[in-house]
Amino acid sequence: MRGIVGETFTPEVAVGFSQAFGTYLDGGRILVCRDTRASGPMVRAAVISGLLAAGSEVIDLGISPTPSLQLAVKSLKADGGIAITAGHNPSQWNALKFVRGDGLYLNPTQAEELLDIFHQGEFAKATWDQIKPAIQHHDPIAHHIERLKSVFDIEAIRHRRLKVAVDCCNGACSRLIPLWLKELGCEVLAINDDPTAAFPHAPEPKPETMAQLSAVVKAGNADIGFAHDADGERLGIVTELGQPLSEELTFALATWIRLEQKTGTVVTNVSTTGAIEQIAAVYGGNVVRTQVGQTYISESMIELNGVLGGEGSGGVTVPEIHSTHDSAAAVGLILEGLARSGKPVSRFVHDLPRLTMLKHNLPVEPNRLYSVLQNFRVAIEREQLSYDLTDGIRVVLPQGWIHVRASNTESMIRIIVEAEQAKSAQNLLDWVRDRLNK
Amino acid sequence: MRAIPTLKISISGVRGVIGESLTPALLTRFAQAFGTYVGAATIVIGKDPRTSGEMVKQAVIAGLLSSGCRVIDIGMCPVPTVQLLVRHHGAQGGIAITASHNPAEWNALKFINADGLFLNSGQAREMLDIYHQGEYTKVAGAEMREVEEFSEATDLHIQKILEELGPLPQREKRLRVVLDACNGAGSLVGPKLLEALGVEVVPINVTPNGLFPRQAEPVAENLGALSAAVKEHRADIGFAQDMDADRLAIVSEQGIPIGEDYTLLLATLYVLGKELGPVVANLSSTSVLHEIAKRFSCPVFLTRIGEVNVTEEMQKQDAVIGGEGNGGVIYPRINFARDSLTGMALILHLVAETGQTITELVNSLPSFSMVKEKLACPSDKIAAVLRMLRQEYSSSPLDLRDGVKVTLPAGWFLVRGSNTEPIIRVIAEADNETTAREIVAGVYKKVQACIGS
Repeated sequence: MRGIVGETFTPEVAVGFSQAFGTYLDGGRILVCRDTRASGPMVRAAVISGLLAAGSEVIDLGISPTPSLQLAVKSLKADGGIAITAGHNPSQWNALKFVRGDGLYLNPTQAEELLDIFHQGEFAKATWDQIKPAIQHHDPIAHHIERLKSVFDIEAIRHRRLKVAVDCCNGACSRLIPLWLKELGCEVLAINDDPTAAFPHAPEPKPETMAQLSAVVKAGNADIGFAHDADGERLGIVTELGQPLSEELTFALATWIRLEQKTGTVVTNVSTTGAIEQIAAVYGGNVVRTQVGQTYISESMIELNGVLGGEGSGGVTVPEIHSTHDSAAAVGLILEGLARSGKPVSRFVHDLPRLTMLKHNLPVEPNRLYSVLQNFRVAIEREQLSYDLTDGIRVVLPQGWIHVRASNTESMIRIIVEAEQAKSAQNLLDWVRDRLNK
Repeated sequence: MRAIPTLKISISGVRGVIGESLTPALLTRFAQAFGTYVGAATIVIGKDPRTSGEMVKQAVIAGLLSSGCRVIDIGMCPVPTVQLLVRHHGAQGGIAITASHNPAEWNALKFINADGLFLNSGQAREMLDIYHQGEYTKVAGAEMREVEEFSEATDLHIQKILEELGPLPQREKRLRVVLDACNGAGSLVGPKLLEALGVEVVPINVTPNGLFPRQAEPVAENLGALSAAVKEHRADIGFAQDMDADRLAIVSEQGIPIGEDYTLLLATLYVLGKELGPVVANLSSTSVLHEIAKRFSCPVFLTRIGEVNVTEEMQKQDAVIGGEGNGGVIYPRINFARDSLTGMALILHLVAETGQTITELVNSLPSFSMVKEKLACPSDKIAAVLRMLRQEYSSSPLDLRDGVKVTLPAGWFLVRGSNTEPIIRVIAEADNETTAREIVAGVYKKVQACIGS
């Protein structure tokens, strides 16, 4: 549930969804956290009033990363949680992310059940002698760091005394990540770690937003730079040479490091780089691709006992901590890789498969989204090509692969193509656009 | 399905039952309407200790922040403290979260203007129009603010009272006071104030947990525990507050509830003894108030019923004291609000400075009896009943500002229709109970004849 605050995202909507969630969980204990957006206090108040009205017990985690809430759901034996964050969306947006009792997001079926309750509008209403008269407060950061420490080779990382630059985007990671890095014995060069300040740039870690971090890495001779989104899911990387990496490479690098240690099943979605298969081939791992959406990756990770999950947006799942994207876990995994190998990060990047990915969004009227995709499929069939319908339409061609799907959040078709050569990638994109325009 | 809907939206605010009509969505819309009405300004909010208070408060905060307001949360405190803090912070408004004397399952919002007064009927109608129109100011996320918490509100209130009235004069033996705060908003600040004034305090019902140890109205039949405690502890005085600590009732040193009307009378006696000036009360106040004012040659102005009518008239007349017969004392040097804390300080000063007991002070005033009755009357007949009374008593002095008030040789009566229930309220006063009851009986007979016809 997301929207622009001051327009579609009103307090009534936040109240209604929280009442629906409280009703869905039948009261129970529910955790609430938020990222650092200026609209956070408003949405938090609306969420808490809705939850209390539905009879829930509320524990407020304050400004915390979403993964910290997801871990706390289990440690505090809560029945669920609401993270108030629009993740990588710009600051005028906000959203509610609903977390279940096992610390994972509601899956699509559960989300539909919640929506039905919201639309039905018949919420549980606690009477005066049932309603909780106060909320509790809890800081989930210490527990998050304890869990991280229990998984990675802390001594090896401390031994390397790495110098790490971080850009917290003044977001929910502003406290967790510097603390975690200090725990790892790193010298920390932190920028944008003031949760009371506005986002200094779009809270989406990609090369366009990492210029400042790159400058800090170079000026401070750091071993690596990490860029975070607003709520602690996505991670971007700057090499020790100051080169910002495409967000696609975060998961590729994590896969390399993980499979080098421990082979097994890697779970990602259909629109993530084909480099994952190439890396898996080197180490004998297996790659499973799901629909786009974090919950699909989380559920497949559990079902298939995966060793790593992630996607091209920079989200990485380390299952020993939890089966959900967690940028602090990704930081631990990557630093562990650097520490054990003794190699600089640019060396890893140099060895990664080199592929060119192009992304293009094609605006389409909402009522034509389905028919445009249908026509594309007919065109593919006419050419007697085989395709994958896991999510939208994915076709593997001799030069590379293409993926076409309708966006979940906007009225547009998302096109992703990838090939070994930039020229072939452009050809693939043209190939798709030709067929979509027919 | 419930036969009687519980939501009541009126010029006094919005009131309803938790778990039924008073939903967070409704509350957040009201807060948005108020935020829109005052225009993205500073708003002070406070609440009484009802169990639903936190839910209501969060819904209110969401609505206010959404409409661009700066919110100062002063926590659990008496309504008059919210009114005082609106002026202290130079805020443009306030919201008190309390259903005053309604039972525990109720809660309500009361809206306060920049002067610390409740919205008057014209202002309340303007805000209700915004509420019904449903087009609220929505500021962009980037312009929204954090809630500011202010924890010194009640201390500031105590300090203000001490500054104005000072501690009690030294006596050989400190006054001993039993305070029954009804587990309400006065539970913490009440004993603190009394100690600061220098009396010995025996507190009862001072656990602000939202559970009502007695009916919240501080009327005689609800003050059994206080009367017993006054006797047991041989106290000089017993004070009873209601849930939101605006009204105050007194139990004498003999353990007898003296009646709510005496709170304003005794406070007036004290204030006029210090400072001459106009007195303001509402139409249903006892005529003894006039007698007291006459002793000091001060004028009395009577207003329509409702706190804001009294406070506005007090501002207009530059009154030195005012209030309502239900135990509401308004002392403008502190606050334009019914304030049980100020009331206690005034009464204790009176007792300490005169050296008289409550019983002696009551006996020094002319005796009077007031009878208050409700008569069943279909809502559609209320207008006809009032018209009949105007005609029947056209040769007596009439005051028609709020229902019909008739002055008779032996006393007076006031008849008003209720806005909320199919009843009419009759208040009559005479110098003894028999006469007062006779007046009510006479009115009752005429009303019956009118309804029956």
